[in-house]
Amino acid sequence: MPLASLLCLAMALPLLSPFVRGGTWWVPAFVMMAAVAGVSALYRSPGRNAFPVPFLQALAVLALVTPLFAGHLAPLGLLPTKDVVAHLGTTLEQGAHTIDVSAPPVSASSGVMLIIALCLALFMMAADFLAVTARCPGMVGVLLLTLMAVPLVLDGSGVGPLPAIACAGGFLVLLAVDAWVRGREWGMRVPDAHDSSAGVSEAVRRVVTVSLTSAVAVLLALTVPLALPSLRTDVFHTLADGTYIGTGGDVITTTHPLVSLRRDLASSSDRTVLTYRTDAEEPDYLRTYVLDEFDGVNWTMTPVNASNDTRVDGELPLPTGWGSAPSEDTVTTRISLDAESPRMDFLPLPYWARSVEVSGEWYADPGSHVVFSTNSPPTGLSFTVESVDRRPTTEELADTGDPRSLPGDHRDLPRDLDPRVRELTEALTEQARTPYERAMALQEYFTGGSFTYDLAPPAVPGDADPLVHFLLEDRIGYCEQFAGAMAVMARQAGIPARVAVGYTAGERMGDGRWAVSVGDAHAWPELYFEGAGWVRFEPTPASSAGQGSASVPDYARGEREGGPVSPGTVPEEPEVVPTETARTPEGNEEPAAEEERSPSPSGDEEPEDETDSSVAASEHGPRSGADLSWLPAASAVAIGLLLLVLPALVRALVRWSRMAALSTDDARAAHIAWRELRDTFLDLGGTWTSTESPRAAAERMARGGPVPERSGSRSTGPMSGSARRPVSRETVAALGRLALAEEAARYAPAPLPSEGLREDLRTARAGLVSVVGTGARARAVLLPRSLAPWRRPRPSPTPEPLTS
Amino acid sequence: MSLDTHHGGRGGGAQTDVEEIVAVADRVRGAMETVIGGKPEVLRLTLTVLLAEGHLLIEDVPGVGKTMLAKALGRAVDCSVQRVQFTPDLLPSDITGVSVYHQDRHEFEFNPGPVFANIVLGDEINRASPKTQAALLECMAERQVSVDGRTHALERPFMVVATQNPADMKGTYALPEAQRDRFMARVSVGYPAPQAELDMIDSHGARSPLDALAPVTDAVRIRDLADKVAAVHVAPGVRRYIVDLVNATRTSPELRLGASPRATLHLVRAARAYAALHGRHYVLPDDVQALAVPVLAHRLLPGPEAQTRRRTPEQIVAGLVAHLPVPGPR
Repeated sequence: MPLASLLCLAMALPLLSPFVRGGTWWVPAFVMMAAVAGVSALYRSPGRNAFPVPFLQALAVLALVTPLFAGHLAPLGLLPTKDVVAHLGTTLEQGAHTIDVSAPPVSASSGVMLIIALCLALFMMAADFLAVTARCPGMVGVLLLTLMAVPLVLDGSGVGPLPAIACAGGFLVLLAVDAWVRGREWGMRVPDAHDSSAGVSEAVRRVVTVSLTSAVAVLLALTVPLALPSLRTDVFHTLADGTYIGTGGDVITTTHPLVSLRRDLASSSDRTVLTYRTDAEEPDYLRTYVLDEFDGVNWTMTPVNASNDTRVDGELPLPTGWGSAPSEDTVTTRISLDAESPRMDFLPLPYWARSVEVSGEWYADPGSHVVFSTNSPPTGLSFTVESVDRRPTTEELADTGDPRSLPGDHRDLPRDLDPRVRELTEALTEQARTPYERAMALQEYFTGGSFTYDLAPPAVPGDADPLVHFLLEDRIGYCEQFAGAMAVMARQAGIPARVAVGYTAGERMGDGRWAVSVGDAHAWPELYFEGAGWVRFEPTPASSAGQGSASVPDYARGEREGGPVSPGTVPEEPEVVPTETARTPEGNEEPAAEEERSPSPSGDEEPEDETDSSVAASEHGPRSGADLSWLPAASAVAIGLLLLVLPALVRALVRWSRMAALSTDDARAAHIAWRELRDTFLDLGGTWTSTESPRAAAERMARGGPVPERSGSRSTGPMSGSARRPVSRETVAALGRLALAEEAARYAPAPLPSEGLREDLRTARAGLVSVVGTGARARAVLLPRSLAPWRRPRPSPTPEPLTS
Repeated sequence: MSLDTHHGGRGGGAQTDVEEIVAVADRVRGAMETVIGGKPEVLRLTLTVLLAEGHLLIEDVPGVGKTMLAKALGRAVDCSVQRVQFTPDLLPSDITGVSVYHQDRHEFEFNPGPVFANIVLGDEINRASPKTQAALLECMAERQVSVDGRTHALERPFMVVATQNPADMKGTYALPEAQRDRFMARVSVGYPAPQAELDMIDSHGARSPLDALAPVTDAVRIRDLADKVAAVHVAPGVRRYIVDLVNATRTSPELRLGASPRATLHLVRAARAYAALHGRHYVLPDDVQALAVPVLAHRLLPGPEAQTRRRTPEQIVAGLVAHLPVPGPR
């Protein structure tokens, strides 16, 4: 039996082979597994108690680790000295690191081999326990499924047919060996009569049952996942402060862009996030994420794909809307991320980055041109990026017509968008003829002075649409609201739009480097123009009364001002910031702006823990956050409660249906009543064996109730159970009648009449319940053991002490 | 707790038959209990074998009432009882009988031996020579005696109650397996409980209670009841259970020799009688379980491993019974 489970797991090993380079990775793993199985086989063969087996197996594994992985250090190649332990520690660490940083297949370094070997040894121990000690070889299938899940989780390629067949074959061998061992212990059961037609129909019935069950299982496996909400919209995932991004390819987890943005904005520090050196005079913003889906409240990111096609090796894909790769105005920027900052899964890059030189594995999304990593890159990363700083002129933009060349629709808006948004957009763009003019009109609406920049905007009333509230009611917000609202209105006006998130250019330092601090985190809209591609606009007020380091591109400055007047300045308002400030974001107003931002009220702390995944166009008052956050928590609690009472519900349903079925045909009624009695007894903590006849079982129940009998007390009869509460006389009589009905139904030529069975069952149940303690009663209700298949009777595998 | 509740009219004729069996058996048992007190299981098994028309092997130390048991049975049932004391010089013809030549009539006349009786008590059967043992055992199996080419049928009921003494094996010829196999069941009487022994001092003090024992039934009645026992229902599941159990003795690694097909038949017959004695017209796995040790154990030979671990065949059979699943719902 232990050897069969070894064979079974060994045949599952090819499942892992696509993920490790090199042919010999499985050798140490196999040696360890063989040792585990061997220990089990040797120790058990004289029929000893199975209890110490796992400990002996663990010892064997520990003893093997040294010669296999640190033999050159250890004296005699065996003894684990301090050096050996240290060496194993570092090996393990290296292995973990290798697995962390590299995509499969990983190279078979000794660390990786050690990890694989230890894991598989653990698996082997579990399989040995399940198949030999617990005698449930079917449960080994769960372990195999776990192994099979490894390739499914690591990449979408799935499992090859040959390893899958090998794995299934191994499992079947294990089951067959188990059946054979049982048969040898017992002698085979005498098969049912073959000659009669009943035997044939029985066989047919079995085949039909098995095929039907399998068909239903396959059907469920295929359809249920379709009906379930996919993982990334699942409420459970938004409960965590991270989200799943990615479909089809590798699933990557990252801190959600907006959550981290708000955290950055809300944090009071002006800690430097990154520094860079560039040969551009006026560096552009650094983009990190692009949010291109709007659901009415939030801007979110389309899942990005990490596949081998999109892997970054030098050149990045050409941006949408540009005819050819321009060669002019190449800017080289060397960016160093701060070692203290949290690691970034997305690289902050200028737009459009033509090539990136960066260590590690990075992928570029061709649509949004964000560059991201699937495994956590190290902090303090430095990389060089070559970008093309191509800014369209006002004339170019003014000439563009309706966008046609854009793949995918970036003009989608939710159907139930408030009509006032449309009315407002139409009113603002009434005079505009071209898309560019419409965009300018929208930007002017935000920068025109009627909006107030505030990092801690007041709460949105619970019933208000956050977007409408921001646009028409309070007009207070920060970059997210500005960027999100403008993008929505641009879409409304027929211009493809999306929201980019990242950092402003930051502040020039004395030595020619630029420093970007936490406070420079920013969001802005990108609008698409035919021929010019995606173009950045800036609706957020700049200067000390707004996002201090924000800058407005030349093409987005209003012409009416007749010059480089910042749209951030508001003519009507006296505290207008001088134009220079806006143009030179590295100006000395920056500290003031930081200070203004720094005393962010504590209300803004709340979004950090907010479970809602992303809110961009909405306001983030504490109120609105609270409105949304109770829902997942409440549903989690509800689901938890449901899970808690689920077993009780199922059990109650089973009991109800059995009670209802008691009035049927006599023999069946007796069987049903007896089965219900058995399950009740199991629920209450009793044990049940299939070697006990109804009569013997009823006598045992009447003697001791559901308290598990000690093996010694079984033979000494009723006197031994003095500690137990006695079962009442009515219960004993009811148990007797139930047993009599069952044995008559099983063994007599004609069953007894079924009347009275229901009352007897109730009496017996009440009597059995009354003799156990409160704890056992509660457990019987909440965790009915009769639902667990392993509690069901089956022949015990080893001889027990005799009762004679 | 007693589950021996009689069915209300459902069994039809079978049930009334069974009730008759119970009534007669209770009378016989009551009569025997005046002689052998405190041994209800032994008495029940004896009656079971009687009704199943088998033979009984009583194996115990001297003086516990082996012979008394057999005699009490013979007295309680009004039938012919013969007793044979087996000694090494006993000849086969001493059991079966001989043909004697009558000079006046010029012909051979058959003088029936002690085996021509309803109940034959073979005392210390293992003291006789194998040849004599074989002669008796042949009669047991075939229920007829062949002497000088003529066959004489034995009268029903025919039951051999043989005793043997396991303690003093000097000068004995232990029964070979093939001959032990012909006994339906083996019991050991065992020492009486202290209270039963006290009662025994009173009852056996002046004269044997055997003398006061009046017959409560007769051979014809027993024959009739034995026919009715054969009609007791054995469900297919229970049949399979019996075969499974016998098979398990054949495949058990602890046993060198398993039970024979004859053992299967004996077990079924005994189980029928046992069920009828309990007032049931159908056999339960419980009946089979209760009879497994007495019916099977004396036919088995433990393997070397079981011998070194001092596991007796009784223990092994009990272990098999404890692990064989009972037949479930149909």
